[in-house]
Amino acid sequence: MELNLEFVSLKNRINKWEESNPKLKFLYAKIKNMSIWGKSLFRLASYLLLFDLAFIFLYPFLYMIITSLKSPIDVMDITVEWIPRSFYFSNYEKAAEMLSYFPILFKTSIVTILATLGHIFSCSMVAYGFARYKFPLKNVLFNLVLLTIIVPIQVLIFSLLIMYSKVGWLNTYLPLIVPTFFGFGLRGGLFIFIFRQFFAGLPYELEEAARIDGCNAFRTYWTIVLPVAGSALLVCIMLSLVWHWNDYFEPTMYILRTDVQLLPSKLPNLYILLEQMVEQDVEISEYISVEGTVMAGTFLVILPILIVYLFLQKKFMEGIERSGLVG
Amino acid sequence: MKQKPYKKPLTMKQKHVLEGYLFIVPWIIGFSIFFALAFFKSLQLSLSKITKVSGFELEWIGGANYIRAFVWDTTFIPKLIDVLGDIVINTPLTLIFSLFIAMLVNRDIKFRGFFRGTFFLPVLLGTGFVLKQLLGMGVEQQATEVARRIVMPDEILMYLGPNVAGFVDNFMSRITLIFWNSGVQIIIFLAGLQSIPGSLYEASKCDGATVWENFWKITLPMMSPVILLNAIYTLVDSFASSTNPILEYMLGLKVSISQYEYAAALGMIYFMFVFLLVAVVYGVFKRYTYNSFEK
Repeated sequence: MELNLEFVSLKNRINKWEESNPKLKFLYAKIKNMSIWGKSLFRLASYLLLFDLAFIFLYPFLYMIITSLKSPIDVMDITVEWIPRSFYFSNYEKAAEMLSYFPILFKTSIVTILATLGHIFSCSMVAYGFARYKFPLKNVLFNLVLLTIIVPIQVLIFSLLIMYSKVGWLNTYLPLIVPTFFGFGLRGGLFIFIFRQFFAGLPYELEEAARIDGCNAFRTYWTIVLPVAGSALLVCIMLSLVWHWNDYFEPTMYILRTDVQLLPSKLPNLYILLEQMVEQDVEISEYISVEGTVMAGTFLVILPILIVYLFLQKKFMEGIERSGLVG
Repeated sequence: MKQKPYKKPLTMKQKHVLEGYLFIVPWIIGFSIFFALAFFKSLQLSLSKITKVSGFELEWIGGANYIRAFVWDTTFIPKLIDVLGDIVINTPLTLIFSLFIAMLVNRDIKFRGFFRGTFFLPVLLGTGFVLKQLLGMGVEQQATEVARRIVMPDEILMYLGPNVAGFVDNFMSRITLIFWNSGVQIIIFLAGLQSIPGSLYEASKCDGATVWENFWKITLPMMSPVILLNAIYTLVDSFASSTNPILEYMLGLKVSISQYEYAAALGMIYFMFVFLLVAVVYGVFKRYTYNSFEK
């Protein structure tokens, strides 16, 4: 009790002292304002962090572009870190020539587009079946879909290789395209999962109305559900395009002949060929830089998919947020 | 007049079941050919020896290939332990950092579209040769060096001494690799963050909760199913990535057909570990998730 009284009196005395000193009041106000300062400082720090992170994410691309534009002299020169002295485009000419870029670009695009179409058709259809129908063994089958996501392709690759060689599909593009039409191929199970999550979140009324009006099951799926599924479709198309375009493991397994190889599988050859050229003839390294040419080739390989991404990027991000991917 | 034989029409329920099966029939065909048959063949291959290369004639030899992997092969087991150790360390880091980045981007900031787009970009590099090529040139170290200097100048590192500096550099280049592999995880987390109703945060704000409390009491529990999804995706992705030394080793065996059966056995062993790890992660996470992500 006494202590409390003492405390109160102390507080009163401090208050009086404060009032007598206007300077102190000013200091208090300043400290209060500090919180605003602190907030903007925090904002500044978080922007710094974000741009720093963005830099890390962009760096591979920056490095690729810068190195591919460096002349052999610039590559050797350590003082040229960021901007090359002159833009040296013959790296690109050389890389395009050695990759035989344009004919193979066409083939790779066709294969990628066909495989993506396969994924979109088959996975959305299968997922619709899983999302809307109740049938015996449904849960078992869906767990098997999840199992196919988990099993790495490397477990199956050798027996698939033997199977395809018996059918005579080796050195053709069929092993890359045909499985996608059955919901398999590159991460097919994952697309089934994404579509199923999306369809499960759709309201049932639309389909019900269609069915009452006499639409059959397949037409309901094709004309009612798929057009509504735009965001999920976009997400799956984008991911499927990117993954197929960059796929390296399966094509190198199935396609051995160099004249049918796709772009990503061509890259290692480019590297080896260039190294050999430089080793055999030292003088040639004055005109060709291995590093610059390889980077030019690499950039050429990812350029088409980069362009597609830049066009679809905004819609894709919105789609991800709307597709109910996560329930 | 001949009467048509009476055919009993399907009941609504039977029709429903039939339609359901019709929708998933492509998958069932695909599953039996490209998965079940292939898996069975792999198992068979791993337990036998190829006697004739031309027609792939097999001879049953039991577990000899598996014994070879565990007892005779001196490179496989150390590589397997390396890969598993890396994955055990990298998966939690991937989850933490991608959640962190997703939360940074999810706030009300300027250039939001730019950041979202940027953080997905490394996915375009793929997991294939392109990334390997870049890593071979030490790009991840250059990237970390420049990025680190912005948040932590060299002077501070000098002051801390070479041990700490080395640790920081190692850690940062590991983190950079993780960043480049976490594009998909970041966007999945973003989608998850978007799906949390804002009213929850408003209610907690009225009750005087801090940002810190909000994170632990709202964000994390609501995100738990997404975290599970991402954890499994990360595991599967890292098991199949081409920078994985085990896969490179298996790819090396492709050269001679007489090694196919051994490669198949390695694949089977590898799959066992993958399955075990995924099962453990699933079991552990499932206990703490707020609700199941399967509807």
